[in-house]
Amino acid sequence: MNYLDIILFKTWADLRSEASRAYIGFLWWFIEPVLYMSAFYLLFGLGLRMGGDNFVHFLLCGLIPWKWFSSSVSNGSQSIAASAGLINQVYLPKFILPTIVVLTNTVKFLVILPILIVVLLIGGEQVSVHWFGLLYLILLQFFLIWSLASFTSAIVPFVPDLKYLIENGLLLLMFLSGVFFDLGRLDGDIAVALSYNPVALLIQAYRDVLLANQWPSVSDLAYVSGFIIIPAALSWWLFSSLDKKFVKVI
Amino acid sequence: MSVALTLEDVGVFYRRRTSLFNREKHWAIRHISFEVRSGETLGVIGRNGAGKSTLLKILAGILAPDEGTVKREVATASLLTINLGFLPHLSGIDNAILSGMLMGLSKSMILEKLPQVIEFSELGDAINEPYRTYSAGMKARLGFGVSFTADPDIILVDEVLGVGDRDFRPKSTRAMKEKITSNKTVVIVSHNEPLIRETCDRLVWVENGTVVATGDVDPILADYARPRSGR
Repeated sequence: MNYLDIILFKTWADLRSEASRAYIGFLWWFIEPVLYMSAFYLLFGLGLRMGGDNFVHFLLCGLIPWKWFSSSVSNGSQSIAASAGLINQVYLPKFILPTIVVLTNTVKFLVILPILIVVLLIGGEQVSVHWFGLLYLILLQFFLIWSLASFTSAIVPFVPDLKYLIENGLLLLMFLSGVFFDLGRLDGDIAVALSYNPVALLIQAYRDVLLANQWPSVSDLAYVSGFIIIPAALSWWLFSSLDKKFVKVI
Repeated sequence: MSVALTLEDVGVFYRRRTSLFNREKHWAIRHISFEVRSGETLGVIGRNGAGKSTLLKILAGILAPDEGTVKREVATASLLTINLGFLPHLSGIDNAILSGMLMGLSKSMILEKLPQVIEFSELGDAINEPYRTYSAGMKARLGFGVSFTADPDIILVDEVLGVGDRDFRPKSTRAMKEKITSNKTVVIVSHNEPLIRETCDRLVWVENGTVVATGDVDPILADYARPRSGR
Protein backbone atom coordinates (compact mmCIF):
# COMPACT_ATOMS: atom_id res chain seq x y z
CA MET A 1 0.00 0.00 0.00
CA ASN A 2 1.24 3.40 -0.91
CA TYR A 3 1.25 5.61 2.17
CA LEU A 4 2.99 8.43 0.33
CA ASP A 5 -0.25 9.11 -1.54
CA ILE A 6 -2.16 9.40 1.73
CA ILE A 7 0.49 11.66 3.25
CA LEU A 8 0.49 14.01 0.29
CA PHE A 9 -3.26 14.10 -0.19
CA LYS A 10 -3.93 14.61 3.51
CA THR A 11 -1.33 17.39 3.62
CA TRP A 12 -3.02 19.07 0.69
CA ALA A 13 -6.47 18.52 2.25
CA ASP A 14 -5.42 20.00 5.60
CA LEU A 15 -3.92 23.07 3.94
CA ARG A 16 -6.94 23.47 1.70
CA SER A 17 -9.32 23.04 4.61
CA GLU A 18 -7.44 25.59 6.70
CA ALA A 19 -7.41 28.09 3.85
CA SER A 20 -11.13 27.79 3.14
CA ARG A 21 -11.93 28.76 6.69
CA ALA A 22 -11.28 32.42 5.90
CA TYR A 23 -12.84 34.59 3.20
CA ILE A 24 -9.58 35.26 1.40
CA GLY A 25 -8.22 31.79 2.03
CA PHE A 26 -4.76 31.16 0.63
CA LEU A 27 -3.94 34.87 0.57
CA TRP A 28 -3.56 34.75 4.34
CA TRP A 29 -0.45 32.63 3.92
CA PHE A 30 1.17 35.69 2.35
CA ILE A 31 -0.52 38.40 4.31
CA GLU A 32 0.00 36.85 7.72
CA PRO A 33 3.81 36.65 7.47
CA VAL A 34 3.94 40.10 5.90
CA LEU A 35 1.98 41.51 8.84
CA TYR A 36 4.17 39.54 11.22
CA MET A 37 7.35 40.91 9.70
CA SER A 38 5.92 44.43 9.49
CA ALA A 39 5.21 44.38 13.20
CA PHE A 40 8.87 43.71 13.95
CA TYR A 41 9.95 46.26 11.39
CA LEU A 42 7.82 48.91 13.02
CA LEU A 43 8.87 47.98 16.51
CA PHE A 44 12.60 47.55 16.08
CA GLY A 45 13.33 49.23 12.77
CA LEU A 46 11.53 52.51 13.30
CA GLY A 47 10.56 52.58 16.94
CA LEU A 48 13.00 51.20 19.44
CA ARG A 49 16.11 51.47 17.27
CA MET A 50 17.92 49.06 19.49
CA GLY A 51 20.46 46.41 18.64
CA GLY A 52 22.06 48.25 15.76
CA ASP A 53 21.16 48.85 12.11
CA ASN A 54 20.68 45.31 11.03
CA PHE A 55 18.70 44.21 14.02
CA VAL A 56 15.42 43.70 12.13
CA HIS A 57 17.11 41.50 9.55
CA PHE A 58 18.93 39.66 12.28
CA LEU A 59 15.64 39.07 14.06
CA LEU A 60 13.69 37.93 11.00
CA CYS A 61 16.38 35.44 10.00
CA GLY A 62 15.95 33.88 13.41
CA LEU A 63 12.20 34.21 13.84
CA ILE A 64 11.09 32.68 10.59
CA PRO A 65 13.04 29.41 10.81
CA TRP A 66 12.08 29.35 14.50
CA LYS A 67 8.39 29.64 13.68
CA TRP A 68 8.68 26.69 11.30
CA PHE A 69 10.46 24.70 13.98
CA SER A 70 8.18 25.51 16.89
CA SER A 71 4.80 25.10 15.19
CA SER A 72 5.89 21.81 13.63
CA VAL A 73 7.17 20.35 16.86
CA SER A 74 4.32 21.72 18.95
CA ASN A 75 1.51 20.56 16.62
CA GLY A 76 3.40 17.46 15.59
CA SER A 77 3.79 16.27 19.18
CA GLN A 78 -0.02 16.26 19.49
CA SER A 79 -0.67 14.66 16.12
CA ILE A 80 -1.22 11.07 17.28
CA ALA A 81 -3.09 11.99 20.44
CA ALA A 82 -5.37 14.28 18.43
CA SER A 83 -6.21 11.58 15.90
CA ALA A 84 -7.85 9.23 18.40
CA GLY A 85 -11.07 8.98 16.40
CA LEU A 86 -9.29 8.10 13.20
CA ILE A 87 -6.81 5.54 14.46
CA ASN A 88 -9.44 3.74 16.50
CA GLN A 89 -11.37 3.05 13.34
CA VAL A 90 -8.77 2.21 10.77
CA TYR A 91 -5.19 1.02 10.77
CA LEU A 92 -2.69 3.65 9.74
CA PRO A 93 1.03 3.52 10.37
CA LYS A 94 1.30 6.17 13.05
CA PHE A 95 4.41 7.85 11.66
CA ILE A 96 2.30 9.38 8.90
CA LEU A 97 0.48 11.62 11.40
CA PRO A 98 3.44 13.75 12.56
CA THR A 99 4.76 13.62 8.98
CA ILE A 100 1.60 15.33 7.68
CA VAL A 101 1.86 18.07 10.33
CA VAL A 102 5.52 18.68 9.49
CA LEU A 103 4.73 18.85 5.78
CA THR A 104 1.89 21.37 6.16
CA ASN A 105 4.16 23.59 8.24
CA THR A 106 6.96 23.16 5.73
CA VAL A 107 4.71 24.33 2.91
CA LYS A 108 3.85 27.43 4.93
CA PHE A 109 7.55 28.07 5.59
CA LEU A 110 8.32 27.73 1.89
CA VAL A 111 5.69 30.40 1.20
CA ILE A 112 7.19 32.73 3.79
CA LEU A 113 10.82 32.25 2.77
CA PRO A 114 10.60 34.13 -0.56
CA ILE A 115 8.85 36.96 1.27
CA LEU A 116 11.70 37.09 3.77
CA ILE A 117 14.19 37.17 0.92
CA VAL A 118 12.34 40.03 -0.76
CA VAL A 119 12.27 41.94 2.53
CA LEU A 120 16.03 41.39 2.97
CA LEU A 121 16.77 42.54 -0.58
CA ILE A 122 14.63 45.64 -0.20
CA GLY A 123 16.41 46.27 3.07
CA GLY A 124 19.76 46.32 1.26
CA GLU A 125 21.20 42.82 1.75
CA GLN A 126 23.26 41.48 -1.16
CA VAL A 127 22.68 38.16 -2.90
CA SER A 128 25.73 35.95 -3.10
CA VAL A 129 26.63 32.42 -4.08
CA HIS A 130 26.50 31.53 -0.39
CA TRP A 131 22.72 31.75 -0.53
CA PHE A 132 22.76 28.32 -2.17
CA GLY A 133 23.65 27.10 1.30
CA LEU A 134 19.99 27.71 2.16
CA LEU A 135 19.05 24.54 0.29
CA TYR A 136 21.11 22.43 2.64
CA LEU A 137 19.96 24.35 5.72
CA ILE A 138 16.31 23.84 4.80
CA LEU A 139 16.84 20.15 4.19
CA LEU A 140 18.69 19.79 7.47
CA GLN A 141 16.06 21.69 9.42
CA PHE A 142 13.32 19.61 7.77
CA PHE A 143 14.89 16.40 9.04
CA LEU A 144 15.51 17.88 12.48
CA ILE A 145 11.86 18.93 12.76
CA TRP A 146 10.56 15.68 11.34
CA SER A 147 12.55 13.55 13.76
CA LEU A 148 11.64 15.65 16.81
CA ALA A 149 7.94 15.86 15.91
CA SER A 150 7.84 12.10 15.35
CA PHE A 151 9.64 11.33 18.58
CA THR A 152 7.43 13.57 20.72
CA SER A 153 4.24 12.42 18.98
CA ALA A 154 5.06 8.82 19.93
CA ILE A 155 5.59 9.67 23.59
CA VAL A 156 2.77 12.15 24.27
CA PRO A 157 -0.05 9.55 24.03
CA PHE A 158 1.61 7.53 26.81
CA VAL A 159 2.59 10.52 28.94
CA PRO A 160 -0.04 13.18 28.21
CA ASP A 161 1.48 15.45 30.87
CA LEU A 162 4.39 16.05 28.49
CA LYS A 163 2.16 18.40 26.53
CA TYR A 164 2.76 21.14 29.10
CA LEU A 165 6.48 20.47 29.25
CA ILE A 166 6.80 20.67 25.49
CA GLU A 167 5.06 24.03 25.26
CA ASN A 168 7.21 25.55 27.98
CA GLY A 169 10.30 23.73 26.73
CA LEU A 170 9.81 25.37 23.34
CA LEU A 171 9.53 28.79 24.94
CA LEU A 172 12.78 28.21 26.81
CA LEU A 173 14.44 26.84 23.70
CA MET A 174 13.49 29.98 21.78
CA PHE A 175 15.52 32.07 24.22
CA LEU A 176 18.39 29.57 24.15
CA SER A 177 18.50 29.56 20.36
CA GLY A 178 19.51 33.15 19.85
CA VAL A 179 16.37 34.25 18.09
CA PHE A 180 16.48 37.62 19.84
CA PHE A 181 20.14 38.06 20.56
CA ASP A 182 23.49 37.07 19.16
CA LEU A 183 24.80 34.03 20.99
CA GLY A 184 28.26 34.92 19.66
CA ARG A 185 28.39 37.73 22.17
CA LEU A 186 28.18 35.33 25.07
CA ASP A 187 31.25 33.69 26.47
CA GLY A 188 32.23 31.24 29.13
CA ASP A 189 30.39 28.08 30.11
CA ILE A 190 27.04 29.27 28.82
CA ALA A 191 28.43 29.81 25.32
CA VAL A 192 29.89 26.30 25.35
CA ALA A 193 26.58 24.83 26.53
CA LEU A 194 24.57 26.68 23.90
CA SER A 195 26.89 25.54 21.14
CA TYR A 196 25.36 22.07 21.59
CA ASN A 197 21.90 23.40 20.77
CA PRO A 198 21.19 22.36 17.16
CA VAL A 199 18.50 25.02 16.70
CA ALA A 200 20.91 27.78 17.73
CA LEU A 201 23.47 26.46 15.27
CA LEU A 202 20.92 26.34 12.48
CA ILE A 203 19.74 29.89 13.12
CA GLN A 204 23.34 31.04 13.19
CA ALA A 205 23.85 29.31 9.85
CA TYR A 206 20.84 31.10 8.30
CA ARG A 207 22.34 34.42 9.41
CA ASP A 208 25.78 33.50 8.08
CA VAL A 209 24.29 32.77 4.68
CA LEU A 210 21.70 35.53 4.36
CA LEU A 211 23.29 38.41 6.25
CA ALA A 212 27.05 37.83 6.36
CA ASN A 213 27.35 36.28 2.90
CA GLN A 214 29.56 33.48 4.09
CA TRP A 215 29.34 29.70 4.14
CA PRO A 216 27.96 28.26 7.36
CA SER A 217 30.34 26.42 9.65
CA VAL A 218 30.88 22.90 8.34
CA SER A 219 31.52 21.47 11.78
CA ASP A 220 28.30 22.99 13.14
CA LEU A 221 26.25 21.52 10.33
CA ALA A 222 27.95 18.16 10.71
CA TYR A 223 27.04 18.24 14.38
CA VAL A 224 23.38 19.06 13.61
CA SER A 225 23.27 16.27 11.01
CA GLY A 226 24.63 13.84 13.58
CA PHE A 227 22.27 15.11 16.27
CA ILE A 228 19.25 14.23 14.12
CA ILE A 229 20.18 10.54 14.30
CA ILE A 230 19.18 10.40 17.98
CA PRO A 231 15.50 11.42 17.73
CA ALA A 232 15.22 9.69 14.35
CA ALA A 233 16.46 6.37 15.73
CA LEU A 234 14.30 6.67 18.85
CA SER A 235 11.23 7.43 16.72
CA TRP A 236 11.92 4.50 14.45
CA TRP A 237 12.24 2.22 17.45
CA LEU A 238 9.09 3.56 19.15
CA PHE A 239 6.97 3.37 16.02
CA SER A 240 8.08 -0.12 15.11
CA SER A 241 7.40 -1.48 18.60
CA LEU A 242 4.30 0.53 19.53
CA ASP A 243 2.52 1.05 16.22
CA LYS A 244 -0.42 -1.17 17.17
CA LYS A 245 -0.43 -0.30 20.87
CA PHE A 246 -1.30 3.41 20.67
CA VAL A 247 -5.05 2.71 20.53
CA LYS A 248 -4.81 1.26 24.03
CA VAL A 249 -4.08 4.65 25.51
CA ILE A 250 -6.00 7.06 23.29
CA MET B 1 -14.18 -24.10 3.73
CA SER B 2 -10.96 -22.13 3.91
CA VAL B 3 -10.07 -19.99 6.87
CA ALA B 4 -9.66 -16.24 6.45
CA LEU B 5 -8.37 -15.40 9.90
CA THR B 6 -7.53 -17.33 13.06
CA LEU B 7 -7.23 -16.10 16.64
CA GLU B 8 -5.22 -18.31 18.97
CA ASP B 9 -5.30 -17.69 22.69
CA VAL B 10 -5.49 -13.95 22.17
CA GLY B 11 -5.36 -11.59 25.13
CA VAL B 12 -5.29 -7.80 25.53
CA PHE B 13 -4.79 -5.93 28.77
CA TYR B 14 -5.23 -2.30 29.66
CA ARG B 15 -3.57 -0.59 32.57
CA ARG B 16 -6.07 0.86 34.98
CA ARG B 17 -4.97 3.62 37.25
CA THR B 18 -5.52 2.81 40.91
CA SER B 19 -3.76 5.81 42.40
CA LEU B 20 -1.38 8.52 41.22
CA PHE B 21 1.54 6.21 40.57
CA ASN B 22 -0.07 2.79 40.66
CA ARG B 23 -1.58 1.01 37.77
CA GLU B 24 -2.88 -2.52 37.54
CA LYS B 25 -3.30 -4.79 34.59
CA HIS B 26 -6.82 -5.46 33.53
CA TRP B 27 -7.41 -8.08 30.87
CA ALA B 28 -10.12 -6.84 28.51
CA ILE B 29 -10.05 -10.12 26.62
CA ARG B 30 -8.08 -13.28 27.30
CA HIS B 31 -7.73 -16.82 26.00
CA ILE B 32 -9.80 -16.06 22.94
CA SER B 33 -9.58 -18.56 20.11
CA PHE B 34 -11.79 -18.87 17.06
CA GLU B 35 -11.58 -18.68 13.32
CA VAL B 36 -13.30 -16.63 10.67
CA ARG B 37 -14.01 -18.70 7.57
CA SER B 38 -13.95 -17.29 4.06
CA GLY B 39 -17.35 -16.28 2.79
CA GLU B 40 -19.21 -16.72 6.05
CA THR B 41 -21.05 -14.18 8.16
CA LEU B 42 -19.90 -14.60 11.71
CA GLY B 43 -21.84 -12.96 14.50
CA VAL B 44 -20.25 -11.85 17.76
CA ILE B 45 -22.65 -11.49 20.67
CA GLY B 46 -22.07 -10.56 24.28
CA ARG B 47 -23.25 -8.08 26.86
CA ASN B 48 -21.83 -4.59 27.23
CA GLY B 49 -18.26 -4.64 28.49
CA ALA B 50 -17.72 -8.24 27.37
CA GLY B 51 -14.76 -7.18 25.22
CA LYS B 52 -16.44 -6.99 21.83
CA SER B 53 -14.93 -3.69 20.75
CA THR B 54 -11.43 -4.79 21.76
CA LEU B 55 -12.00 -7.95 19.77
CA LEU B 56 -13.05 -5.98 16.71
CA LYS B 57 -9.90 -3.87 16.96
CA ILE B 58 -7.83 -7.04 17.00
CA LEU B 59 -9.66 -8.38 13.96
CA ALA B 60 -9.22 -5.06 12.16
CA GLY B 61 -5.48 -5.10 12.85
CA ILE B 62 -5.70 -1.76 14.64
CA LEU B 63 -4.50 -3.28 17.91
CA ALA B 64 -1.88 -5.98 18.38
CA PRO B 65 -2.64 -8.61 21.04
CA ASP B 66 -0.47 -8.73 24.18
CA GLU B 67 -0.53 -12.50 24.10
CA GLY B 68 -1.53 -15.11 21.59
CA THR B 69 -1.43 -14.86 17.82
CA VAL B 70 -3.56 -13.66 14.94
CA LYS B 71 -3.06 -15.48 11.66
CA ARG B 72 -4.27 -13.66 8.59
CA GLU B 73 -4.81 -15.46 5.31
CA VAL B 74 -6.36 -12.41 3.64
CA ALA B 75 -4.94 -8.99 2.96
CA THR B 76 -7.43 -6.59 4.49
CA ALA B 77 -9.98 -6.58 7.27
CA SER B 78 -11.55 -3.31 8.22
CA LEU B 79 -14.33 -1.79 10.21
CA LEU B 80 -17.26 -0.47 8.28
CA THR B 81 -17.20 3.18 9.30
CA ILE B 82 -19.19 6.12 8.06
CA ASN B 83 -17.57 9.50 7.37
CA LEU B 84 -14.07 8.40 8.35
CA GLY B 85 -11.66 11.34 8.50
CA PHE B 86 -14.07 13.83 6.91
CA LEU B 87 -13.03 17.49 7.13
CA PRO B 88 -15.91 20.01 7.33
CA HIS B 89 -14.33 22.67 5.12
CA LEU B 90 -13.42 20.32 2.31
CA SER B 91 -15.77 19.62 -0.60
CA GLY B 92 -17.76 16.39 -0.68
CA ILE B 93 -15.68 15.03 -3.51
CA ASP B 94 -12.34 15.74 -1.82
CA ASN B 95 -13.66 14.17 1.37
CA ALA B 96 -14.69 11.09 -0.57
CA ILE B 97 -11.16 10.76 -1.98
CA LEU B 98 -9.53 11.34 1.39
CA SER B 99 -11.82 8.96 3.24
CA GLY B 100 -11.43 6.28 0.60
CA MET B 101 -7.65 6.52 0.83
CA LEU B 102 -7.76 6.31 4.62
CA MET B 103 -9.85 3.15 4.25
CA GLY B 104 -7.07 1.63 2.21
CA LEU B 105 -8.09 2.29 -1.38
CA SER B 106 -5.42 3.51 -3.74
CA LYS B 107 -5.93 6.98 -5.15
CA SER B 108 -6.48 5.68 -8.67
CA MET B 109 -9.03 3.15 -7.43
CA ILE B 110 -11.07 5.74 -5.56
CA LEU B 111 -10.97 8.11 -8.53
CA GLU B 112 -12.24 5.31 -10.72
CA LYS B 113 -15.10 4.53 -8.36
CA LEU B 114 -16.02 8.16 -7.71
CA PRO B 115 -18.93 8.29 -10.22
CA GLN B 116 -20.42 5.27 -8.45
CA VAL B 117 -20.11 6.97 -5.05
CA ILE B 118 -21.74 10.15 -6.34
CA GLU B 119 -24.59 8.22 -7.91
CA PHE B 120 -25.19 6.08 -4.84
CA SER B 121 -25.18 9.07 -2.53
CA GLU B 122 -27.62 11.01 -4.77
CA LEU B 123 -25.72 14.24 -4.19
CA GLY B 124 -25.50 15.49 -7.77
CA ASP B 125 -23.76 18.85 -8.10
CA ALA B 126 -23.70 19.32 -4.33
CA ILE B 127 -20.68 16.99 -4.34
CA ASN B 128 -18.50 20.05 -5.05
CA GLU B 129 -19.90 22.06 -2.15
CA PRO B 130 -18.13 22.12 1.23
CA TYR B 131 -19.12 19.19 3.42
CA ARG B 132 -20.11 21.49 6.29
CA THR B 133 -23.01 22.86 4.21
CA TYR B 134 -24.59 19.40 3.87
CA SER B 135 -27.70 18.33 5.74
CA ALA B 136 -27.40 15.38 8.12
CA GLY B 137 -29.02 13.19 5.49
CA MET B 138 -26.56 14.24 2.78
CA LYS B 139 -23.63 13.62 5.11
CA ALA B 140 -24.86 10.13 5.89
CA ARG B 141 -25.46 9.35 2.23
CA LEU B 142 -21.99 10.41 1.17
CA GLY B 143 -20.36 8.60 4.08
CA PHE B 144 -22.26 5.44 3.32
CA GLY B 145 -21.47 5.67 -0.39
CA VAL B 146 -17.74 5.94 0.32
CA SER B 147 -17.75 3.14 2.87
CA PHE B 148 -19.40 0.85 0.40
CA THR B 149 -16.79 1.43 -2.28
CA ALA B 150 -14.01 0.39 0.05
CA ASP B 151 -14.19 -3.35 -0.30
CA PRO B 152 -11.96 -5.10 2.23
CA ASP B 153 -11.57 -8.91 2.25
CA ILE B 154 -13.23 -9.05 5.65
CA ILE B 155 -15.87 -6.48 6.58
CA LEU B 156 -16.24 -5.82 10.30
CA VAL B 157 -19.57 -4.35 11.28
CA ASP B 158 -20.22 -2.80 14.66
CA GLU B 159 -23.94 -2.49 15.18
CA VAL B 160 -24.53 -0.11 12.29
CA LEU B 161 -27.40 -0.93 10.02
CA GLY B 162 -29.09 1.60 7.85
CA VAL B 163 -28.17 5.25 8.01
CA GLY B 164 -29.66 8.42 6.65
CA ASP B 165 -33.07 10.01 6.48
CA ARG B 166 -36.36 8.25 5.89
CA ASP B 167 -35.93 7.93 2.14
CA PHE B 168 -32.34 6.76 2.19
CA ARG B 169 -32.56 4.38 5.14
CA PRO B 170 -34.28 1.50 3.27
CA LYS B 171 -31.71 1.84 0.49
CA SER B 172 -28.73 1.73 2.84
CA THR B 173 -30.22 -1.11 4.87
CA ARG B 174 -30.84 -3.09 1.72
CA ALA B 175 -27.31 -2.45 0.40
CA MET B 176 -25.88 -3.50 3.73
CA LYS B 177 -27.92 -6.70 3.93
CA GLU B 178 -27.04 -7.59 0.36
CA LYS B 179 -23.38 -7.27 1.17
CA ILE B 180 -23.67 -9.29 4.37
CA THR B 181 -25.59 -12.13 2.76
CA SER B 182 -23.36 -12.18 -0.33
CA ASN B 183 -20.19 -14.20 -0.53
CA LYS B 184 -18.25 -11.60 1.45
CA THR B 185 -16.59 -12.56 4.69
CA VAL B 186 -18.33 -10.53 7.36
CA VAL B 187 -17.97 -10.31 11.12
CA ILE B 188 -20.88 -8.55 12.73
CA VAL B 189 -21.23 -7.39 16.31
CA SER B 190 -24.83 -6.80 17.23
CA HIS B 191 -27.52 -6.92 19.87
CA ASN B 192 -30.22 -7.22 17.27
CA GLU B 193 -31.35 -10.86 17.54
CA PRO B 194 -33.68 -10.95 14.52
CA LEU B 195 -30.87 -9.54 12.39
CA ILE B 196 -28.39 -12.08 13.71
CA ARG B 197 -30.81 -14.90 13.04
CA GLU B 198 -31.37 -13.62 9.54
CA THR B 199 -27.78 -12.95 8.48
CA CYS B 200 -25.29 -14.99 10.49
CA ASP B 201 -23.98 -18.44 9.63
CA ARG B 202 -22.21 -18.97 12.94
CA LEU B 203 -21.89 -17.21 16.26
CA VAL B 204 -19.17 -16.49 18.78
CA TRP B 205 -20.47 -15.65 22.24
CA VAL B 206 -18.13 -13.54 24.34
CA GLU B 207 -18.59 -12.92 28.04
CA ASN B 208 -16.19 -11.35 30.56
CA GLY B 209 -13.47 -11.17 27.94
CA THR B 210 -13.51 -14.78 26.92
CA VAL B 211 -15.37 -17.09 24.55
CA VAL B 212 -18.33 -18.89 26.13
CA ALA B 213 -19.49 -20.73 23.03
CA THR B 214 -18.88 -20.97 19.30
CA GLY B 215 -21.13 -22.64 16.77
CA ASP B 216 -24.60 -22.69 15.25
CA VAL B 217 -26.80 -19.67 15.62
CA ASP B 218 -30.00 -21.07 17.10
CA PRO B 219 -28.68 -23.05 20.08
CA ILE B 220 -26.33 -20.23 21.11
CA LEU B 221 -29.03 -17.59 20.87
CA ALA B 222 -31.30 -19.79 22.97
CA ASP B 223 -28.60 -20.11 25.64
CA TYR B 224 -27.78 -16.43 25.44
CA ALA B 225 -31.39 -15.43 26.03
CA ARG B 226 -31.68 -17.67 29.11
CA PRO B 227 -31.13 -15.76 32.34
CA ARG B 228 -28.21 -17.23 34.24
CA SER B 229 -27.76 -17.46 37.96
CA GLY B 230 -24.58 -16.56 39.74
CA ARG B 231 -23.78 -13.52 37.62
